[in-house]
Amino acid sequence: MIEGLFNQTNYVATKKMMDATTLRQEALASNIGNVETPGYQRMDVSDSFKKQFSKAISQGGKEAFGDLNASLEVDSSAIARDETGNTVDLESEVLQLGENQIAHQLESKIITGSLAKLRLAITGRP
Amino acid sequence: MIRIMSGADTTVAALNAERMKLEVISQNIANANVTNTPEGGPYKRKEVVFESVMNEAFKSQDGNNETPMMVKVGKVETDETPGITIHDPNHPDADAEGNVTLSNVNIHEEMVDMIMASRAYEANLSAMKYARSMAVQTLRIGRS
Repeated sequence: MIEGLFNQTNYVATKKMMDATTLRQEALASNIGNVETPGYQRMDVSDSFKKQFSKAISQGGKEAFGDLNASLEVDSSAIARDETGNTVDLESEVLQLGENQIAHQLESKIITGSLAKLRLAITGRP
Repeated sequence: MIRIMSGADTTVAALNAERMKLEVISQNIANANVTNTPEGGPYKRKEVVFESVMNEAFKSQDGNNETPMMVKVGKVETDETPGITIHDPNHPDADAEGNVTLSNVNIHEEMVDMIMASRAYEANLSAMKYARSMAVQTLRIGRS
């Protein structure tokens, strides 16, 4: 019965998104840290995760989110920015840092909201 | 180990590497006019070469091999290209013909490198700030 409380599709989906958001922060930190490393290729959360996640959202059903795990991969569509082949564009990475943080705040608000609803339902008090 | 501040160790490594690069650049600028070093001859500029290694502390959820890359100073090389030689018989280090070889430090290049390194340093500080605020936000989950 306890699992039923925490198995709402939105809640499960948002938890997966938050995992991906914190993983993305690792990738962005790696990219920004290596802006001057010769030949470094920027990395990001894998494309296949993004596609599978969108599919799971549109098809509904929390089982779809079950084995979805975000992972890092080298961004194959990035172009070289200097003569050593480094593909990091500093402005773009810092911009994505900001977007990532907003996404994280959104996800944590959704999760906190879900928990608050549960608390209201159980105790009658928000 | 829980990585509550995502990417913090990667960012710290980058901050250290950029700081070392700035130190080497300052050393070059400070010695730009030195024509007589203890080893003999004018000062030869140093440059740092970065390289990145996989982050051993990072474990991915599905065992895939990609990890964030931590940057470090691979080596500090001495630039052996000779500096220009000028004719100045009044210079204290002038040789018998009145020529003196200057150091190979080009102030303009050093300034550009310094700007790049500062920019990278600030971007890394920014990444650290965001990682910290995300961690604080995470700890607030569930708090009304």
